[in-house]
Amino acid sequence: MHSVVAIKQVPDTTNVRINPETGTLIRDGVPTIINPYDIHAVEMAVRLKEQFGGTVTVITMGPPKAAEALIECVEQGADRGILISDRRFGAADTLATSYVLAHAIEAIRAEHPVDLLLFGKQAIDGDTGQVGPGVATRLNVPLVSYAIAVESFDPVKRRAVIHRKIEQGVEVVEVSLPLLMTVEKEIAPVKRAPLSNMIKAATYKPEMWSADTPVQFDITQVGIKGSPTIVGKAFTPPPREAGAILSVAEKGLRDAVAQALTMIGQAHVVTVDLHV
Amino acid sequence: MSEQVETSSPRIWVFIEQEDGQPHPVSWELLGAAQRLANDLPGSVVEGVLLGHNVAGVAPQAFQYGAKRVYLIDDPILEFYRTMPYGMGISKLITKYKPEIFLFGATTLGRDLAGMIATHMRTGLTADCTELAIDPKQKILAATRPTFGGNLMATILCRQHRPQMATVRPRVLPMPDPIPDATGEIIREALDMNESDIPLRRLRLIPSEAKVNIEYADVIVAGGRGLGGPHGFKLLGELADALGGVVGASRPAVDAGWMDYEHQVGQTGKTVRPKLYIAAGISGAVQHTVGMSGTDFILAINSDPRAPIFQMANASIVGDLYEVIPELIKQVKGMRNGH
Amino acid sequence: MATKHTFDAIVVGGGPAGTAAALTMARSGLKTILIERGNFVGAKNFFGGVMYTHAIADLLPDFWERTPPFERPLTEQGYWMLAPDSVVRMTHKSEHYKHEPADAYTVLRAQFDPWLAEQASKAGALVVTRTAVLRVLQDSKGKVIGVRTDRPDGDVYAPIVIIAEGVNNLLTQRLGLIKNDLPPRFVALAVKEYISLPAKDIQARFGLTGANEGAAIDIFGDATMGLPGTAFLYTDKAGISIGVGMLLDEFIQHKLRPYEVLARFKNHPVIQPYLEGGKPFEYGAHLIPETGYDRMPKLAADGVMVAGDAAGMVDALHREGTNLAMTAGRMAGLTAIKAHQAGDFSATFLNQYRQDLENSFVLKDMKQYRRMTDFLDTTPHFMGTYANFLNDVALRYFTAHGIPKRDMERQIVGMLQERRSFFGVAQDMVKLLRAMRG
Ligand SMILES: Cc1cc2nc3c(=O)[nH]c(=O)nc-3n(C[C@H](O)[C@H](O)[C@H](O)COP(=O)(O)OP(=O)(O)OC[C@H]3O[C@@H](n4cnc5c(N)ncnc54)[C@H](O)[C@@H]3O)c2cc1C
Ligand SMILES: Cc1cc2nc3c(=O)[nH]c(=O)nc-3n(C[C@H](O)[C@H](O)[C@H](O)COP(=O)(O)OP(=O)(O)OC[C@H]3O[C@@H](n4cnc5c(N)ncnc54)[C@H](O)[C@@H]3O)c2cc1C
Ligand SMILES: Nc1ncnc2c1ncn2[C@@H]1O[C@H](COP(=O)(O)O)[C@@H](O)[C@H]1O
Repeated sequence: MHSVVAIKQVPDTTNVRINPETGTLIRDGVPTIINPYDIHAVEMAVRLKEQFGGTVTVITMGPPKAAEALIECVEQGADRGILISDRRFGAADTLATSYVLAHAIEAIRAEHPVDLLLFGKQAIDGDTGQVGPGVATRLNVPLVSYAIAVESFDPVKRRAVIHRKIEQGVEVVEVSLPLLMTVEKEIAPVKRAPLSNMIKAATYKPEMWSADTPVQFDITQVGIKGSPTIVGKAFTPPPREAGAILSVAEKGLRDAVAQALTMIGQAHVVTVDLHV
Repeated sequence: MSEQVETSSPRIWVFIEQEDGQPHPVSWELLGAAQRLANDLPGSVVEGVLLGHNVAGVAPQAFQYGAKRVYLIDDPILEFYRTMPYGMGISKLITKYKPEIFLFGATTLGRDLAGMIATHMRTGLTADCTELAIDPKQKILAATRPTFGGNLMATILCRQHRPQMATVRPRVLPMPDPIPDATGEIIREALDMNESDIPLRRLRLIPSEAKVNIEYADVIVAGGRGLGGPHGFKLLGELADALGGVVGASRPAVDAGWMDYEHQVGQTGKTVRPKLYIAAGISGAVQHTVGMSGTDFILAINSDPRAPIFQMANASIVGDLYEVIPELIKQVKGMRNGH
Repeated sequence: MATKHTFDAIVVGGGPAGTAAALTMARSGLKTILIERGNFVGAKNFFGGVMYTHAIADLLPDFWERTPPFERPLTEQGYWMLAPDSVVRMTHKSEHYKHEPADAYTVLRAQFDPWLAEQASKAGALVVTRTAVLRVLQDSKGKVIGVRTDRPDGDVYAPIVIIAEGVNNLLTQRLGLIKNDLPPRFVALAVKEYISLPAKDIQARFGLTGANEGAAIDIFGDATMGLPGTAFLYTDKAGISIGVGMLLDEFIQHKLRPYEVLARFKNHPVIQPYLEGGKPFEYGAHLIPETGYDRMPKLAADGVMVAGDAAGMVDALHREGTNLAMTAGRMAGLTAIKAHQAGDFSATFLNQYRQDLENSFVLKDMKQYRRMTDFLDTTPHFMGTYANFLNDVALRYFTAHGIPKRDMERQIVGMLQERRSFFGVAQDMVKLLRAMRG
């Protein structure tokens, strides 16, 4: 049983600040984390490994610093981490990202066949959720997005039954292996890793892949060149204008409330008749 | 198979999402947006794309919301949504008819599908847009979306690849008024697939319990951490009832278990577009306000005169919500009783 | 399948003390594990901002080639005495500070601590993060034999454990090395904000010529509402570190919230222009031990040594802590190496560590200022009274009133006597002198 998990290191958006002058993200000093959904994908892979044996490979495309995230995955029980990092991969949109990941996975599975591909449902920096479906399409494997539970998994009969969250409820699908799942956090609560994993990870060095070694990537499909979308402009959202401020302390409770209701009434927004 | 479709005029396509023959209202919001784009893109035409089994009945509604034509693939294989057959079917249509722009709802279905199609067509896809426009100079789609937790808006362009694709969250765009007697043309295409080609099948659906649909409510009374506990939502519920609305919540209130996730408004919750939004004990963080800034009238109630929510509210009451809300309930009820 | 994890030495805590100890031991070949509970080393650590290079050089003679993440060298330092609406400034700027590496730099701990930990890793130390030590393991005779972490299969064994857990020294307390939790009198609480600001604005406001200059200013008087404590304003590369610190006791007694004291300080008419247009980026609160020489814990017992803030090694008057911590960590590490050579991990042997510290600036300074906390404790009016006095004097002195200067001088003396009797002043000065002299 061999699973490949794609993870992304993202800025912790709870700490994100924008430079109001340039409208760009201030990355300095902003802590990075593993995209919260992705760590659950790793956990799912580790659980299947515990059940069926085998290996968990984790890949990421990102700057050299992203090696930290791979090491954290080794702490969680992954066996192998590959960082695909090259200047030329920078500023990739989801199409270029899915190319790089799909091409890397092709190289990995040529050496060691892959039964399961795991992705997070979306990355919290871009919130697109497009990379998983993109990789599934490129590799021509069935896609199960928004997975919340694995009901059964049979690496021998090569079938899995998976629950996925959709608007109408929970859809239960049967799917053949290999498959690609994008996961919600519910898929597997993250367990606290044992100290032996931590000790192993403390000296673990992820493999580093560039655009030409050990695998040759098609340079026209990566980075800015391989990205059909470009950012035209970035700006902070225009504010709504503030309206009247009614202070209970100044106007008294009854009047403050009455005035607010009158304003709502005058705006004709509600069908309930607010003033008589 | 009809071939009388003109090929010269740029096509703006909207995916008409349906489940069991029930169209998702976001499809109509998208048709409205597509019409506005068409006005800025001379000669262009707005068309719908509809897939499913026995769903032709949905097409007339698409005409009423502005589609001139609906491309329909009706096949038993398409009875339930599955990425592969839907994606292949639509990719075929794209190859044949070459639309300029293709819009999808950013629903679970729409995101899954658009992601596949964009990759298959090797084109650009902008996710979760909040605003669509035609760039006046280049005459291409300018799709604006929040990034980095709503702190920043980015306008994305796709210059060379076609179609230019985007998904748009439900309720971010206004619902257009239907034109009752509008009609249009249905163009049927075949799927040409076998069930045995498809590696995935639905075993069953566990429907979620009857849920509130705050996305389409006209009045929302929302509470946040300032409620201090689940009991506060009882009070808000009472006010919501008096106003004929529903209850919404900020994320901390949901995380604390005071309210179900279904009620959460904001970046990681629902986008709402009510006529009246009452925010009680909500500070007004950007991740919350991106989900409700399309509201017509915002009334904010907060004890802190510097609460950021006051910057965007049409009317603000500075005071303790545990005094203000009961008074609101009293006065609203009083009005309805004609006092 | 619990594995037994055995090392030559265990270090608890990845602050300057712990990392220095781990680096020292690993470099000499000891199989060393450093356990840090933060997400990464330095994740939650913060301080005012001045790092002294002498201690780094003792640890890593070639540190300069290893490009430490320094912010700005200090080329101007000094004190401001703040009254509610004025300030008396006394700072020292000198070309003599300008050499590379400089004597002191401002740093951000979230960058410096990981760098130092990386040097320890390079030296061979195993750095394990996201793991907290819950307690120290002892044999039946009380000898320390390892630690228990909060992870499954999380016990680690070693003949020597160095505790460098910082000011919240729970492990030190549980081992009985110190009596009990420090009373609020002997611990200060500091809050700090890092405010980002373009480098050119910082340079213009502080009169610096470029990134090769920096200022560190400690502020007394109205900054802490006249209560015993200090505030600080340090320049970083593209930001300002601003904070206030007061004895925890004072916060409690006067029902003050630390953040409000800082907010008040930031709004002071003298301070506010320095911050104008800056974006608050980070906010934090941290304790500083004001333990003092006489109340320090036992520094060694069988199989264990304590270093840094955990042992109260801070010289608050000169805002020095990291250099004491790093020096102590290094000395504890050297003692551990000798203990391994001798095969003796007894308290008696390890006490050599205390001896080394007594011979160094660490305990010499601690000893000299042993009465400082008591001085502030018994002279709480000191800061407020004299800072205001200085400001009033300055105003008097620099304003012409058309009266003879001699009369003005008398008025000034009168102003002091109004506030404090002659004996009061004399008493304060004698006490201060004693506190300074040790
Ligand atoms: C990636 C990301 C996604 C997020 N997604 C969402 C999201 O989808 N939705 C969302 O809401 N948040 C979201 N957040 C969280 C968001 O940043 C804020 O933390 C959150 O919106 C704050 O909720 P609040 O206003 O209820 O609480 P607070 O900010 O704590 O505000 C409580 C308010 O109540 C007031 N108050 C207290 N007592 C009273 C009283 N008695 N009477 C009147 N007023 C009172 C206080 O003055 C205060 O203004 C997200 C954050 C991140 C990082
Ligand atoms: C506001 C402020 C301003 C200061 N200004 C200066 C200054 O300008 N110059 C200066 O030299 N000093 C200054 N200091 C003092 C200086 O920060 C400390 O003296 C120094 O950091 C002490 O180093 P340490 O290694 O002993 O402890 P710390 O730096 O506190 O490190 C302790 C480490 O141990 C970890 N830890 C604790 N318990 C456990 C556990 N059970 N398991 C695992 N890990 C654990 C912590 O996470 C932490 O990383 C200042 C302090 C403050 C608060
Ligand atoms: N650069 C990347 N490297 C590895 N995996 C990625 C990368 N970007 C996205 N992913 C994966 O794709 C998922 C969805 O990301 P996104 O489409 O960007 O929202 C993430 O949760 C990751 O599993």
